[in-house]
Amino acid sequence: MNPYILTILLFAMGLGTTITFASSHWLLAWMGLEINTLAILPLMCQSHHPRAVEATIKYFLTQATAAAMLLFASITNAWITGQWNLEFMSYSLPTTLVTVALALKIGLAPLHAWMPEVLQGLDLTTGLILSTWQKLAPFCLLLQINPSNTSLLLILGLASTLVGGWGGLNQNQLRKILAYSSIAHLGWMILVLQFFPSLTLLTLLMYFVMTFSLFITFKVNNSTTINSLSMSWSKAPIISSMVPFILLSLGGLPPLSGFMPKWLILQELTKQSLAPLATLAALSALLSLYFYLRISYAMTLTMSPNILSNALPWRLPSNQHTLPLAITTSLTICLLPLTPAIITLLTL
Amino acid sequence: MSLPKISRVPASRLLSAVHDPRWPLRSAAPLAVPKRALTQSGYRRPGQPREDKPPWQRIKFDFSKGLEGITKHFKLLRQEFSDRLVGPEGKPIIEHMLEQNRVIWEFRGPDSLQEWTLSSDREIGGQSEIHLKLGKNNETCFLYGTLQSAPPRDGETRYSGYCSMRSKQPLVSFDRKKHHDWSSFNTLHLRIRGDGRPWMVNIAAESYFTHQKDDLYSYFLYTRGGPYWQDVKIPFSKFFLTHRGRIQDNQHPLWLDKVNTIGFTLGDKADGPFQLEIDFIGVCKDYAHTEDFAYEVYKRNPEV
Repeated sequence: MNPYILTILLFAMGLGTTITFASSHWLLAWMGLEINTLAILPLMCQSHHPRAVEATIKYFLTQATAAAMLLFASITNAWITGQWNLEFMSYSLPTTLVTVALALKIGLAPLHAWMPEVLQGLDLTTGLILSTWQKLAPFCLLLQINPSNTSLLLILGLASTLVGGWGGLNQNQLRKILAYSSIAHLGWMILVLQFFPSLTLLTLLMYFVMTFSLFITFKVNNSTTINSLSMSWSKAPIISSMVPFILLSLGGLPPLSGFMPKWLILQELTKQSLAPLATLAALSALLSLYFYLRISYAMTLTMSPNILSNALPWRLPSNQHTLPLAITTSLTICLLPLTPAIITLLTL
Repeated sequence: MSLPKISRVPASRLLSAVHDPRWPLRSAAPLAVPKRALTQSGYRRPGQPREDKPPWQRIKFDFSKGLEGITKHFKLLRQEFSDRLVGPEGKPIIEHMLEQNRVIWEFRGPDSLQEWTLSSDREIGGQSEIHLKLGKNNETCFLYGTLQSAPPRDGETRYSGYCSMRSKQPLVSFDRKKHHDWSSFNTLHLRIRGDGRPWMVNIAAESYFTHQKDDLYSYFLYTRGGPYWQDVKIPFSKFFLTHRGRIQDNQHPLWLDKVNTIGFTLGDKADGPFQLEIDFIGVCKDYAHTEDFAYEVYKRNPEV
């Protein structure tokens, strides 16, 4: 892509999210979301492949619907209360509608159907931006509104964890697995939103770090199916040996960093007398863990029946920048001991 | 000279018409292979009378057939559920990880022919014929017929003379589309015995927009014609994009994760009989083939 256009689009994406962060008026927040959506659309269909264009159109339709619902909800709230401020949503109808609109924006179950197809049509880098950056602005809004309907958020959260777990079980395509993993993690974030919002932010940031590592690993291997991961030993053995840790961290196993948000969320849910819900959420994490383990099995724990030419490949120095991958992999694996510091940081 | 009278076969009775002795137009196919009905192709030859029946009179309601349909679809649904317990696409994941070759279509019994649809320019009023039967010992499929490139005398068609065989869209329960996922592979492997004619292999992938429904990815298949079998391996990177037979300027590679159908077309303007015997159609993974796409993707004449 023309570097000027690329700069403008990336800048616009940053601008959109920043406007939403900085806004206290609903119209400005909506505007930030719209700028964000429109800026990523050309990035998504850069390759002009019909599947990329299909993914772009599906993404645009869902996001535009969500933005329209958001606008309608905020105007309804302004009509009823006369307030355009984000924090003063006191009536249940606009608040519920805003929650549902933002759920559609980020891809929570049962409004998740677009996510696997859209991610499947994109290349890994754009998919990464979609899974990480595009979640920031809606979460900023979700964290600021006071949810009046407590059970809605719990239903959305639980449904997302279950759907994310079950949906990813029978996938061969890595991008669809990543989409379902995203849905599951978003479910965990929403579960604790109304009780301890800082934990939502913590889970979001941890998810960003972990999924960044995974996306970039797949990009380094240039693989989009489980089958093609089997060759990664010969391409990049160090990365292949680190990947099980990244995947187990995504699955939420101690002593890796991914355990931190899950542990704290389960603790908070238990404190709120929602122990059965916490149990169900923990059990649904097992489903996700199954497909993470499957990826690590295919990539690291098995060697594919090699043809002789692959046994000792030329290990040419790669041109890809792997420093971000190194940083995020280290954070994914080693951050658990810093839990008290992180909680203090987030509850300041 | 008048063209043979072509009677109109309603699409809803496509399969039953094949076994029904009342319908006059029957080709001498030894085994009943569903042909595309004339109305199914969507082209009504100029001069042919329109179907004047209103929709409610075209419905043929049959209770036992309906019940059969329901039981069939629920069985397929139950099969889908149990397949999901085994692994992706009904096979254990270890198979997906280790797969390097897969035979997709193998012609070993009469049921295998039911997965294919034949068409020729007879639908638009031409005179080519195409038939499909099982070969010797029920081990292969035998596609044969006659190509006639005389265009139909309807005042608007200038060229004619094509015959083709296309696989049917795979369906799961309740007639939902299923796609072939060939993303683990990169080469098409055919074992054929032709008669020296050049065929085209067309692969149709799943499309989203309606203007893309006639998009096909094609490549040539040159047959040898000898008594010996020919193993043809065509990498998927060689397939180029065509739309309704015309090669497109903006090319892109075929994505293998949602393939719908494969077809073979003959249209080499040489009138006369033809035959093609196919042993199997499979896909394989050639590790030595690293090409992503064989054609340029940048604009050769950019408009600046």
